[in-house]
Amino acid sequence: MKLLPTRPLRLPRLRTYVPRPEDPKIFWFNSERADIVDEVVRRIMERYDAEESAELALNDAAYHEILRLEADKSEGARRKLDYWRGILRRVGRMSVEGKHETLREVSHAMAKDVAGNFDPRVYHFASRFLPGMLTAAMNPSNILQHVVGGGGRLDGLVASEGPIDKIRHISRRGTVVLVPTHSSNLDSIALGWVLFREGLSPMVYGAGKNLFTNPIISFFMHNLGAYRVDRRVKAAIYKEILKAYSCVVLERGYHSLFFPGGTRSRSGAIESHLKLGLAGTGVEAFARNRARGIDRPVYFVPATINYALVLEAETLIEDYLKEEGRARYIIEDDEFSRIERWVSFFNKFRGLESVCVIRFGEPFDPFGNHVDEQGNSLAPDGRMIDPATYVSRRGTPSVDARRDAAYTRALGKVLAEAYQRETVVMPTQLVAHVMFRRLVRATPGLDLFARLRHRGDIAVPYEELTAELGQTRDRLLQLEAAGKVHVSNFVRRQPPGNILDGVLATWAGYHSARQVVRVQSGSILAEDPNLLLFYQNRLRPFAIAIAGDDEADQIAAREIAGMEQRA
Amino acid sequence: MSPPVAVVGGGSFGRSLARAACRTGQRVILWSRQERRPDAGESVTTTTRLPDLAEAELVFFAVPSPHVAGLADELGHSLDGSHLLVHVSRGLLGAELATVSEVLGSRTPCRRVGALAGPLVAKNLADGHPGGAIIGSAFPEVIEAVSDAIGGTSLRVYGTDDVVGVEIASALVGLVGLALGYALRLGMGPGTLAVLATRGLAEATRVGEVRGGLARTFAGLAGAGDLIAAVAGDGRPEVEFGRALAEGLDLRAAAERAGAYVEGAALAAQVAAFGRLAGIEVPLSVGIAKLMSGELSAEQLAEALMARPAKRE
Repeated sequence: MKLLPTRPLRLPRLRTYVPRPEDPKIFWFNSERADIVDEVVRRIMERYDAEESAELALNDAAYHEILRLEADKSEGARRKLDYWRGILRRVGRMSVEGKHETLREVSHAMAKDVAGNFDPRVYHFASRFLPGMLTAAMNPSNILQHVVGGGGRLDGLVASEGPIDKIRHISRRGTVVLVPTHSSNLDSIALGWVLFREGLSPMVYGAGKNLFTNPIISFFMHNLGAYRVDRRVKAAIYKEILKAYSCVVLERGYHSLFFPGGTRSRSGAIESHLKLGLAGTGVEAFARNRARGIDRPVYFVPATINYALVLEAETLIEDYLKEEGRARYIIEDDEFSRIERWVSFFNKFRGLESVCVIRFGEPFDPFGNHVDEQGNSLAPDGRMIDPATYVSRRGTPSVDARRDAAYTRALGKVLAEAYQRETVVMPTQLVAHVMFRRLVRATPGLDLFARLRHRGDIAVPYEELTAELGQTRDRLLQLEAAGKVHVSNFVRRQPPGNILDGVLATWAGYHSARQVVRVQSGSILAEDPNLLLFYQNRLRPFAIAIAGDDEADQIAAREIAGMEQRA
Repeated sequence: MSPPVAVVGGGSFGRSLARAACRTGQRVILWSRQERRPDAGESVTTTTRLPDLAEAELVFFAVPSPHVAGLADELGHSLDGSHLLVHVSRGLLGAELATVSEVLGSRTPCRRVGALAGPLVAKNLADGHPGGAIIGSAFPEVIEAVSDAIGGTSLRVYGTDDVVGVEIASALVGLVGLALGYALRLGMGPGTLAVLATRGLAEATRVGEVRGGLARTFAGLAGAGDLIAAVAGDGRPEVEFGRALAEGLDLRAAAERAGAYVEGAALAAQVAAFGRLAGIEVPLSVGIAKLMSGELSAEQLAEALMARPAKRE
């Protein structure tokens, strides 16, 4: 892996694709790229206009880059190290012009490194063959037929729901900021496929640079509009460049995808504290356009990605428990990079219907207002209102960083609520929750880590477990009727016995090295409390509402609900 | 010409805010449910129609908590995202202790909301006696607008972005004020009052932190500042209300004596319920709730509070 070229892999420019008028906006991305990079650099220069701030930015960038590069032994790193050391030596003696010139050079290089590429040829190729390849991985015996036949079974495995027609419609009027939950590296692939299948525009998105180490994935990432976010770069100016970049891209009307949780949820829980990060630039992009007299609405579209199995579950929960939420940002050696895990992952869904349900939520404007079918913002009383009023004072729209930061924080709360409402409960999560609640009941007052040592201690007779599953499912259905959560079709329709059997088979197949639960003389044993915790965490916010009426169940549910809120 | 300042609520606090804004040279529109004539010598326009307030930019919302939700819905029809909406309530809603600014932010189209609190008393505000106040808002322009509208040489207006801290502090200091009034009437000495006030503030801080507020807000004007003014005897309605209760008046008569709406009985019970849910101790609120419902007499309450094991502060 280390020998791979770090330069973007691109197709030769022999036959460039000429975008047609009906193509999505992103098909023009490449022709605007240089322009976007220049605009980003211009904004950075504006921001660091004062001599002291330019010098501070250079010092800070040099310091952090030197720290990072000193740990890197490659040839390229040594060259860059010399460059930054040179800057650090000279910056004190530079003239104002010199500082600005160096800053411009540094920002330009960073912005170019961030900037993405969209090759319509790769897009057409991927959309034709990727589903086939994924489906083939699920059913290797029919490989040829699947690669040639396209979509096929993937349609059934990845379900999508929610107000998709509305989203398609409003994406023609304004810029869509798609903000899904994040639990697996498969998220972007599954989402990309669903966007294509539903006739939604492909999106610009920022992917961690660590993803670019896999040559196949890197090829697609580089050519499908992704921009690269290098989490190892700690320089303050780099963060400003990322922000400016995503803002400019949104202002120009490119639909964008952000994972506001930042990294994959380590605990398996739904993200509840959202800072929004780059997605927050949607507010600024709207304000900037309005201040320039451009009427281009911005729509935030929440989405939850719900897996029956999470490809990287084992690594993620270990990481969560080890670091207690202080996530290692970059995990390079997880299940995602091991192809045999992919095959077994896709093979294990027999009988559970959908592997993955992607649920889109109701879109809202940057100020948390719902929008109607035409994309008009609605006040709480259903009246149409002009979103520009939120960025105006005395009738004049303006850009104000502190104001927009306040809107962004408020939006984080709106989004966290939407995530909870739009969660789709998968069968594995339901079974894990009921088993884990039993574990908590049996170990009152213990802390989480002591509890997790109870491997294989808790046994629930099959009949008892199915009865409890049935009751918990019914309470979930009541919550669903009240608009507080959703359940997957499998959970909704199947008798509890089938749910349990399907989940047991699925777990037994995928998490084969370490059993999640074990069946022994008519009882189900909680074999791996860590994985049970991971899958049940998705139900944590609903624990109290779906617990039984007896006191012990209620106490256990309160303990679960009160568990560490860190995602 | 700059837009007028609007005030929703014709109670004593609403009218005082209107006068304070007039004093700084603002045009003021005062809305109240009943038609009323402006106070003599004031250039306040009065109205009973909420849509008349739409031309304002800053809107003060001075409404007792039982009417907040209903009136917010009504007011919401006339406002949009450009309005700055600031309330002065000492109330909280439900057992989750939803703050009034949260309710305003979800039931009206306004997002730029804030809470005005601190040692503000209607009479002093109206007469222009020197004092201070704190405005909590996540939006700098809200802080600025309030400061422009009522701040000046006689009123120092400080700002913070810890809105929820300001609102919880204001509500719970109101409760402590009620308890102080009660204790004063029973003839308790300075030492007892000091314990009551400090432990009350500690309780307020605990509740505030669970709700996401910052402890330092409670040490500032919204908490300690407000409480010191109550102890010093600024004639606030909460203290008068407590005194009246201690004299044996019933709730209605006590409210009449206080001369303003006091968030008392319901609020204490809400905080007690919140404490149970959140797993934190709120002995004072629990005590006040029991006192108001007649479950405990004042003597029994004082005894119960004093008998609690003294812990590390």
